Amino acid sequence: MALYESVFIARQDLSQTQAESLIGKFEKIIKDNGGKVANHEYWGLRTLAYLIKKNKKGHYAMLNIDAPVNAVQEMERQMRFDEDVLRFISIKVDELSKEPSIMMHQRNKEAQIAAEFGVDLEKKEVKNEA
Amino acid sequence: MKPSREAMQKVPMSQVRPFYRPRRTCPFSGKNPQTIDYRDVKTLSRYVTERGRIMPRRITFVSLAAQRKLAQAIKRARFLALMPYIEK
Repeated sequence: MALYESVFIARQDLSQTQAESLIGKFEKIIKDNGGKVANHEYWGLRTLAYLIKKNKKGHYAMLNIDAPVNAVQEMERQMRFDEDVLRFISIKVDELSKEPSIMMHQRNKEAQIAAEFGVDLEKKEVKNEA
Repeated sequence: MKPSREAMQKVPMSQVRPFYRPRRTCPFSGKNPQTIDYRDVKTLSRYVTERGRIMPRRITFVSLAAQRKLAQAIKRARFLALMPYIEK
């Protein structure tokens, strides 16, 4: 079996749970065709560098796949049918990284900053009340 | 590395090269190389022009092998709308 990294972009008007259910759907296709998904990542709603089918933003997700070719082909075929998927790419890799990808680092950083900011805002509110 | 002042003074004037600067080397090869990843937009964006075109090797000093990988990574990032094809 070969190793793949598959990234897809879903429509902007989906909710986060809908986007994550899409990950589950494609994961199931891989499993049904004799492969396995080692890991998956949801990168969140990101701004696209250019419009794709009139979408300014998109839900990004990545699947780390260990599967035979026909399983990946079947998943790509299903992605082509799916109206919610704007774009996808499957890249053959030598090894799957076990650590979270650079996108997750960025997301964590943003979350941290937001958390810090939230704390600051709370302090300000407290001050205002006093 | 820049030679220290004392070392410079010991060298006869005829051998001092005041405009010498070590050649810039490829950051993706040699000792502790950086990895090339199509998801790493921050790094990739240093190797494209303001308008979004891939920079030539003669300017960036990236090795040939790395330039091929870099171009592939930039093209993947463009396809996934992580980077623009053109920026006006």
